[in-house]
Amino acid sequence: MSTLEPLLGRRAKAGAGTPRKRAKGRAVWEEQPTFVGQFGKGAVLTVVVLAVVLPLYAIILTSVSSEGAINRAGGSLVLVPDGLSFAAYREIFSNGVVTRAVVVSFAITAVGTFVSMALSILCAYGLSRARSVGHRFFLAAMIFTMFFSGGLIPSFLVVTQLHGYDQYWALILPSCISVFNILIMRGFYQATARDLVDAARIDGAGDWRILWSVVLPTTKAVTAVMTLFYAVGYWGSWFNTLLYMPFDNNKWPLSYVLYEYVNVGAKMPGLDTAGSGAAVQHQAASPFAISMAVVVLTLLPILIVYPFLQKHFTKGMLTGAIKG
Amino acid sequence: MAVMADSAAVPEEARPGPQAPLRERGGGDQAPVKQRRISFRVRLRRDKSLLVMVIPTMLVLLVFNYLPMFGTVSAFEYYDPIYGFFHSNFIGMQNFNQLFADSAFWHAFQNTLVLSLVQLILYFPVPIALAILLNTVLSTKLRSFIQAVVYLPHFFSWVLVITIFNQMLGGAGLLNQFLRQHHMATWDIMTNGGMFKYLITFQAVWKEAGWGIIVFLAALAAIDPALYESAAVDGAGRWRRMWHITLPGMRGMIVLMLVLRLGNALNVGFEQMLIQRQAVGPQHAEVLDTFAYYYGVTGNNFGYGAAAGLFKGVISLILIYAANKAAHRLGEDGLYRK
Amino acid sequence: MSSTTAFTRRGFLSASAAVGGAIAATPLLAACGNSAGKGGASTKQGIQAVLPTYKPLTGGATPDFPSVTGAAGAITNPGFLKYPTTLPKTVTGKVGSGGTYTGVAPSWNPIPPASNSYYDAVNKAIGATFKSQPGNGNTYSTIIPPLIAANKLPDWLQVPGWMVSTFNIGGLVGTKLADLTPYLGGDAVLEYPNLAAIPTGGWQCGVWNNRLYGIPCHTDGMGTAGAIFYRKDVLDAKGITPAVKTAADYKALGQELNDPKGGVWAFEDSRVYLYQVFKVPLGNWYLDGGKVKTAYDHPQLLECLNFCADLAKAGLIHPDSLAGVQASNPSRFNAGKTLIEGGGLGAWNDGDAKTGIAAKPGYLRQAFPLFSHDGSTPTVTLTGSSGWVSYLNKDLNPDQIKECLRIANYFAAPFGSYEYNLINFGVEGVHYTMSPDGPVRTAEGSNTAADQIYNFFGSAQQQLYNAGYPDITKANAEWYADAVKYATPQLFRNLNITVPDQYSKIAAGTEVEDAANAVARGKQPMSHYQDAVATWKSAGGDALATWYQANVVDKGLA
Repeated sequence: MSTLEPLLGRRAKAGAGTPRKRAKGRAVWEEQPTFVGQFGKGAVLTVVVLAVVLPLYAIILTSVSSEGAINRAGGSLVLVPDGLSFAAYREIFSNGVVTRAVVVSFAITAVGTFVSMALSILCAYGLSRARSVGHRFFLAAMIFTMFFSGGLIPSFLVVTQLHGYDQYWALILPSCISVFNILIMRGFYQATARDLVDAARIDGAGDWRILWSVVLPTTKAVTAVMTLFYAVGYWGSWFNTLLYMPFDNNKWPLSYVLYEYVNVGAKMPGLDTAGSGAAVQHQAASPFAISMAVVVLTLLPILIVYPFLQKHFTKGMLTGAIKG
Repeated sequence: MAVMADSAAVPEEARPGPQAPLRERGGGDQAPVKQRRISFRVRLRRDKSLLVMVIPTMLVLLVFNYLPMFGTVSAFEYYDPIYGFFHSNFIGMQNFNQLFADSAFWHAFQNTLVLSLVQLILYFPVPIALAILLNTVLSTKLRSFIQAVVYLPHFFSWVLVITIFNQMLGGAGLLNQFLRQHHMATWDIMTNGGMFKYLITFQAVWKEAGWGIIVFLAALAAIDPALYESAAVDGAGRWRRMWHITLPGMRGMIVLMLVLRLGNALNVGFEQMLIQRQAVGPQHAEVLDTFAYYYGVTGNNFGYGAAAGLFKGVISLILIYAANKAAHRLGEDGLYRK
Repeated sequence: MSSTTAFTRRGFLSASAAVGGAIAATPLLAACGNSAGKGGASTKQGIQAVLPTYKPLTGGATPDFPSVTGAAGAITNPGFLKYPTTLPKTVTGKVGSGGTYTGVAPSWNPIPPASNSYYDAVNKAIGATFKSQPGNGNTYSTIIPPLIAANKLPDWLQVPGWMVSTFNIGGLVGTKLADLTPYLGGDAVLEYPNLAAIPTGGWQCGVWNNRLYGIPCHTDGMGTAGAIFYRKDVLDAKGITPAVKTAADYKALGQELNDPKGGVWAFEDSRVYLYQVFKVPLGNWYLDGGKVKTAYDHPQLLECLNFCADLAKAGLIHPDSLAGVQASNPSRFNAGKTLIEGGGLGAWNDGDAKTGIAAKPGYLRQAFPLFSHDGSTPTVTLTGSSGWVSYLNKDLNPDQIKECLRIANYFAAPFGSYEYNLINFGVEGVHYTMSPDGPVRTAEGSNTAADQIYNFFGSAQQQLYNAGYPDITKANAEWYADAVKYATPQLFRNLNITVPDQYSKIAAGTEVEDAANAVARGKQPMSHYQDAVATWKSAGGDALATWYQANVVDKGLA
């Protein structure tokens, strides 16, 4: 086990000190760019950006397109705005399943992220002081789980033997810890505000106080990024629902609704508006637009939160990673 | 990424390397100053709060990571849910004997290795190249815009990614509908078994390559610009500078990522396979993880599935060890030092 | 895009069969089912000893299409053009005694909210709380084993015939599922008149090891593997009157209809329904001169796979269908993206018509009359009498079991009765309004009563009736009346066989089915399938045939 320890004490070979502040513009010694080079670079980067942006654009547009627009587009995604309609959203929000799923997803994400962050912050800080009692053992025990696991079936059997079937905790607890995230956070706690921590300790502050009023305020970036990581994981998690909670559609999170109704192709309740007998109504929204609206709903929170946290990725992860 | 059921299934290179921030700080280990030995009891009292902080996480790991490791005992049973771990028929190696005689299992193993290898060859260089390319973009605004865009798919779940792919490239998706309307032959991408290994690699690139560049950008940022300048003064062109300065500067990071990738060779994306298994058929999409799920859980043969899972776990451990050995041979640290 | 159903073939079959709700199709898999365990089957005398006494109900509505008897004891289900106007009660006295029971069943319909006015109305009528917990039919086979493993078996479980082996029902009977012999065997069933009116073949599907465990649902006088349907409205509009007599006709028709550029393909992937056309013995096994043989390498099966692959390679099959994508609400066929599909007869009903008409007014489904690949006399295979058997939890005490059986008796009320009307349509004025065509669901009823869940726990013999669509009933009845002449029973029909543990994986034949799919979809050469069969045979398929021979056939059961 002790062979794993150097992982934590890895020498950074990458080289000198802090990341250099990038010079604005081109250095004097650099050659002028060739036209072909510039063009090629531009083309590659444009393709890369489009590969991400285009599908999202098309899906969002399709979800607000009228049935006619979708038919004119050949029944697949719509690329050119042509008759907007919010019927799909009205439709899915008028039936309980999607609305409840949004609530459930937010609740699972909120509770799960809170649990994960609380455990991770405490654990990361608890292991951040060199030579504290047992920290090498704990670290080794944690790292070992990164490399060996019992596999899906024993986990399933353990969770069910603990009566986790059909319980929300089964969607949260078994995967609430990411050892990897904890190691990153630990690195930050060790690196930041060393002087402040020492000063606080000399002033007689206990570890709880130091964590709360010194370490956390100075590591907001990593807290933000880790919160996002955990939250995104909970938001997108669907397999555990398939395994532990596939029956009650009142309890399903949105990702599972997406899986169930878009990937598997089950019928969504409340959309079957056709009356029994001769009286038959047309569905107000195209089923395809409805599917895409569900896709957009699962995308939306990420798209909304993302810009606010994105800047931290570089600030947080990068500087932290390179400073060692 | 971090909280999925099998968080290990996320391509490792997608994560920033656990290198520097994990390092012991404060000169502790290397400090030449010999500290007075303090008694265990004193240290315990001193670190009481720290221990209390660590314990909840340890309990969670104990229950949900370590208990299942002992749960692999079911691999040696004809596990019957009616009787549980303790009362099922113990059958020794029978599950393994049956497993090793099962062509479907070897097929899943072979698929796992092939898919892993293709991903290694086709996926691995992409973030590196992208990072180098992005590093040459001079406008900070443009660069962070591109970064923001390419990081984004990392935060989508596999259900979402595959839905998006199907809408774009599927048989009735955007591309094929366009081809059809313009009287061209359609391109069967999403359901073509032979293409599947490239398809999933493409999906992995789409989802994770952008995120994967973070660590390489970090490595690039750490290269001393003075090196470039003096090389340029000595007359080295931009390609020679890339070869002699940029790539060697990234070498440590590349090797580390490679080791992680190799160590995770048997994790080829459980959810990704699970969702697409039907579309291309198990012939192409069955990997060890899905095998364990289908034959173990849904086939109601838990002992058998557990045996397949245990086999995978052990091989993975061996691979990590081997990858590290190789890294040491290359003069790099790998995950841990010798 | 993809389903996690391990056994797509059967999952798909039932999915199409069950669209709309009135389930008439039974699975293709052998008899009522195979299950793993120590191995064994009932004996002829044993079965006879525990079977409930059959006592048809007297009175009731007169069918417009009375049952027709055909070959091999097949008898068609009665057909009704109109909904009866008077709805007599068939259940007298107290039903429930206030108990609460959870029932789990698959549903291919939108699953209503867990508590709703329709459930409340039924609970009030039965004097107990019956908690319906439907699971998505497309993933039912993957979500039930975890439920069983988690020891969360509900009080009442519906097990579709083709999932019997996956759920290991043979291992669960007696240990987890209650033995109903004391309550229903012989004349004891007479206490529950509606259950006593279920034909004997259905009950036989609930017998394991000479004891009666299951309550048969949707018992069919003539369970068949299915038929091949086409979009009559579309073909009519094109001026095409199909005269499909051979496989070549079938393909030619497809080529005439195929229009991928317009987003319309001729066919769904209908491999398993074409088996019947090619006279492949269904149910995986057949007897050849008294010897059990696997149907996997039957020459006709290979010919059928070639034919399917040919269709796929000719671009006549919808790409999503080749990808195994299941689409419902509306299905590709409903939506007019494909024009010909195989399906269970249950797909041919009012629910289907409604879905189809919602997508396109004028929608009309019609089945090709039976035909065979070479134009010779066709056959239609009789599958199990009941493909849907419900089981009670062993933890229930005798009083609770009796209460459940009284509830099952209520659920099994025949067509045209007050009880049937209530459990299928709910309350007049709330969930439906009565029209000349019968009950018409209100919006409330469509969102709640449409799941048709109760009949998965108990139901009378099947009948043909399609509210508001008498033409469908007529076409259906005529198809059956023609087909019944060609009925031949499959091997092990209506027998529950527990195969020994070591054969459980072999009996499922998953790899062979997967290979057949790959070949039929044009993704693999025939050799791929033949290799899979050879592997399967040497891995235990041959041994399993021998086992069947010794334990079932030679004991005079087949």
